[in-house]
Amino acid sequence: MSTTPETLGRTRATTGLPYYLRVLRVVGAIDFKARYTDAALGYVWSVVKPLAYFGVLWLVFAHLLRTANQTEDFTLYLLIGLLLFLFFVDSVGIMLPSIVQGGMTLRRLAFDPILIPLSASVAIGITFLLNVSAFSVFAIYQQIDPRIEWFLVVPLFVELYVFTIALGLLLSALYVRFRDVGQVWELTAQLLLFACAIFYPIGILPDWAQKVAFLNPFVQIMQDMRLVLLGRASGPYDVSAETVYAGYGGRFVPIVIVVLLVLAAIAFFRREGRYFAERL
Amino acid sequence: MSAAIEVAGVSKTFRIPHEQRVFLKEYFLHPFQRMTYERNEALKDVSFSVESGEFFGIIGPNGSGKSTLLRILAGIYVPDRGIVHVSGLLSPFIELGVGFNPDLNARDNIRINGTLAGLTRSQLDERFDEILAFSELERFVDQKLKNYSSGMLVRLAYSLAIQIPFDVLLLDEVLAVGDEAFQEKCFATFDRFKEEGKTVVFVSHGLALMERFCDRVLLLRNGIVEGLGTPAEVIDLYRERMPVET
Repeated sequence: MSTTPETLGRTRATTGLPYYLRVLRVVGAIDFKARYTDAALGYVWSVVKPLAYFGVLWLVFAHLLRTANQTEDFTLYLLIGLLLFLFFVDSVGIMLPSIVQGGMTLRRLAFDPILIPLSASVAIGITFLLNVSAFSVFAIYQQIDPRIEWFLVVPLFVELYVFTIALGLLLSALYVRFRDVGQVWELTAQLLLFACAIFYPIGILPDWAQKVAFLNPFVQIMQDMRLVLLGRASGPYDVSAETVYAGYGGRFVPIVIVVLLVLAAIAFFRREGRYFAERL
Repeated sequence: MSAAIEVAGVSKTFRIPHEQRVFLKEYFLHPFQRMTYERNEALKDVSFSVESGEFFGIIGPNGSGKSTLLRILAGIYVPDRGIVHVSGLLSPFIELGVGFNPDLNARDNIRINGTLAGLTRSQLDERFDEILAFSELERFVDQKLKNYSSGMLVRLAYSLAIQIPFDVLLLDEVLAVGDEAFQEKCFATFDRFKEEGKTVVFVSHGLALMERFCDRVLLLRNGIVEGLGTPAEVIDLYRERMPVET
């Protein structure tokens, strides 16, 4: 008789890629619908909220504080940064408590627990796509010329998605053990809004601060996305990981951080995930 | 007949902390205080097998390890030691009625829970009306589940459970709630499972139910197998050893 635990031969209808995609589609769509079911304006809120947020920041930084004087595309810079930031922060924020909230389901059905935080993030993804559509209309109105570099948006978004999901998975597994993680993340998200150069040019920071800022992959993704969509800017806006870390290799510093985070998140989630049902 | 489930030497111990520490503050305030735990040996060296097509009952007093065993069979809990082997498509239904989202209506809950349990979109579409008809909740399909009674929740859950394709079904106290008429409907599905040669592992305190449906019954007490045999034998043993609880 073996002294190590083994579970063999068990066949379930709850495995395989088609099953994963089905769960993400069904749970994500119903979650998204449920978020706005009882609201008078319904789905309109998903676009109104970021636009209102943008309006406040634009009023303060483009007019009252005159940060916009430093680039003519400030409005679009601000919008791109804000849309990406809201996707990042909202996704992590909704994934973080999802395992604890889905505890009862995990205790009665056998399925991969990774599906809980992943499906929680789908509703935020749908909101993001709606916001991108609204942004596209605005960009057309601003008469931006199409550029060949726009195709780089796809790998940059993949990088953002992978980074966001990895952080969300890691924090959701940690939250099962330490509820403080929720409070820490709320505070961190507030700090990041100011630390990520969303509404001011990152080039106004001292060199050392720029180096620290670009250790956050979100800053690299946001800056690259702005440069790819709008072209090289002038002055303090024209900053990327490549220029900050001097040399072509500098581009890879945030990417290496994303890869390390993904490996750590998967390893930790898989280790902890075996015992979620017992701990919740 | 071949074995649908084989369990060999399975043990499971839970470490229950004397105080819950889920906030960092609790670690900072008592940095040198070691966490102390109560050891709850839920299962101790449990071995048995269930034949394919068998209706297998598990009985025992509260806290004897029945639900833990069912969760280990389902793959929800990981055993500390031992081997579990299940042949065929397994469908676990444990704590029926728990885990639904109370802020969603029955329609959305059926879609989410059916999908999580493994139904495809076309299977759900085909079986949706049948699920509602069996549960007799057609009139309430668009009501949020927070307005449902516990009996209605169990009816919905069981109606969904029997629509999931399976070779081996694990059921935990399915009929603890529910009126007599609905219980009879459930018994009719048990008869159908038997005719179809499905393997069912069934945990219940209902000894009459065990006698009526089960081919064999396993008696668990303090995580140890105390008896395994025909329902009459094991129920007699149960009554003899635990007269107050029965």
